[in-house]
Amino acid sequence: MTGAFGTLTPLAWRNLWRNPRRTVITLIVVSIGLWSILFFNSFMIGWMQSSKDAALKLLTGDGQIHAVGYMDDPNVDAFMPAPTPALLAALNSDVFADWTQRIQAPGVVQSEYKTLPINIMGVDPAAERRISTIPGMVTDGRYLESSEDDGVILGKHLVERLKTGLGRRVILMSQSADGTLAERSFDVVGIFDADQGVEDFYAFTGLSASQGFLGLTDEIAQIVVTLPQEAELDPSIKTLRDAAPELDVRSWKELNLFLATTDTFMGAFIFIWLGIVFSLMAIGIVNTQLMAVFERTQEFGLLRALGMKPRRVLLMVSIESAMLIGTGVLLGALIAALTIWSLSGGIDLTAYAQALEMMQGGSIIYLDYHLDGFVLFSLLIWILGVLVALWPARRASKCSPVEAMRRDT
Amino acid sequence: MDSIVTCEGVTKTFGEGELAVHALKNVNINILPGDFATLAGPSGSGKTTLLNMVGALDLPSSGQVTVAGQKLADMKPAELSDLRLHKIGFVFQSYNLVPVMSASENIEFVLELQGVPAKDRRKLSLEALRDVGLEGLEHRRPAAMSGGQQQRVAVARALVSRPSIVLADEPTANLDSTSAGELIDLMLKLNDEHGTTFLIGTHDPRVLERSRRQINMLDGEVESDTRH
Repeated sequence: MTGAFGTLTPLAWRNLWRNPRRTVITLIVVSIGLWSILFFNSFMIGWMQSSKDAALKLLTGDGQIHAVGYMDDPNVDAFMPAPTPALLAALNSDVFADWTQRIQAPGVVQSEYKTLPINIMGVDPAAERRISTIPGMVTDGRYLESSEDDGVILGKHLVERLKTGLGRRVILMSQSADGTLAERSFDVVGIFDADQGVEDFYAFTGLSASQGFLGLTDEIAQIVVTLPQEAELDPSIKTLRDAAPELDVRSWKELNLFLATTDTFMGAFIFIWLGIVFSLMAIGIVNTQLMAVFERTQEFGLLRALGMKPRRVLLMVSIESAMLIGTGVLLGALIAALTIWSLSGGIDLTAYAQALEMMQGGSIIYLDYHLDGFVLFSLLIWILGVLVALWPARRASKCSPVEAMRRDT
Repeated sequence: MDSIVTCEGVTKTFGEGELAVHALKNVNINILPGDFATLAGPSGSGKTTLLNMVGALDLPSSGQVTVAGQKLADMKPAELSDLRLHKIGFVFQSYNLVPVMSASENIEFVLELQGVPAKDRRKLSLEALRDVGLEGLEHRRPAAMSGGQQQRVAVARALVSRPSIVLADEPTANLDSTSAGELIDLMLKLNDEHGTTFLIGTHDPRVLERSRRQINMLDGEVESDTRH
């Protein structure tokens, strides 16, 4: 068999170039098909990562801890006490990159002109600067300086709706711990520019300031954790559940179902795309190989007459297909690698920022690729291509020498 | 002397019922070692069909074909391929060579199928080309050779493995008179010097007049069998 390969391989390569135009067309079909799979896979991974980064680094984090029942009715009665020593030990362990605690209570914000519903967020500014992208989004004024800071940071769109502005005062109202209405005026010290959904529904003030405003001592609404890069989500969440079994611990996938579903869909989408592209490629491959086999019917007849066995004819044509598709795969992978490398600075989609906001995506997509994905998809295309090309190869092997030779006589 | 080829009551019918065409009707012939025989007759007389039967390319509807002592009807397709590979050499009217192979590669290809080691293949193919007067043309591809040269390569390929018989179907049909004469000379020389058995289907008078045994066919039947 080794000898057969030694003879048939150079022969197969020469046969491919008997009709250069057809070979080049097939190479283009295969290489563009694979390029599209590898590029879109890379784009999808990059986009998903960008969406996750944008969404999770805003407020969600990689996971959150609440009192049981808070997620169903997030009000001051469902707050939880400050973390226990066991929970603190877990939070400060190497499992987590960082963490912070927040107040989040429903309320309203009132200006001279309008009253609007709002989530009052009490935050630790130092920790938020490490965990959240909100501090970096302040475009006017300043971010909060300390936990005791009783200024308020409002979203740009909310400020426009309230017809208020930097340096003006607004009134925040919410239910206090004793059940009465808490009401206090706050100076607008900063305006942030984020997604409209965040701008409209969040007002940030210092953690201690908000606890004082709501009549709390050290109670909090949530603890937000972030994980080191490449860390496994589920085991990390389990660490928290083990440390605080009485609390409600959720991963980002449970907190942001849209993002989690999108994440799952993206993984499946690339295989759907692969299926579509491969179907089109298969039609092209089978078509061209059938034409090549048909044109060489007499040659196969001659080879069969000379004593070549059908399985050897099958092998010969299959080697041709394998070389043709393999060359296309190498070209496709090379072009995809060059494309991804040339776009390593990221694809700026700022022009589509509003649409991306809806999809919770970032405005710059950094193409991300994994070598195993490159190898997997390239091998898949090559193997599937060789498999579909078995049909024309089988036709060639079934060629009757008498019928084949009769065509010309 | 044992026959190399024996046809006993060979009949070949294509199609069925009213559309049936009887290409061969009860053909009985023996080809002996060293024969230089021609199958003569007009188009449609059954020459090519009989060559296909003898060449194990097709099987008769009835009757028995024996080649090199092996009854073809009893053999499986793979065994028929082996028989063609080892015992029979072919020279066709056209499309004799693989176009992407050089002259020597076309010959070596058959040797490779036979399992001849690579170092011997090259030597044998060059010898065969020398025997047919094509020394120095081993690297030429068919497209760069004349029709006569291509047929000579086909003869070299047919003879390189020393088959029991060489079957040639209208080998001179596409050749000019000079090339045809040279090819006939070559085949006669190989018949004389190596005792190679030839069975040639032809209606070319240039071949027939130099034939040593002429089997005339008409309408699928053997009309006469004459030794000169």
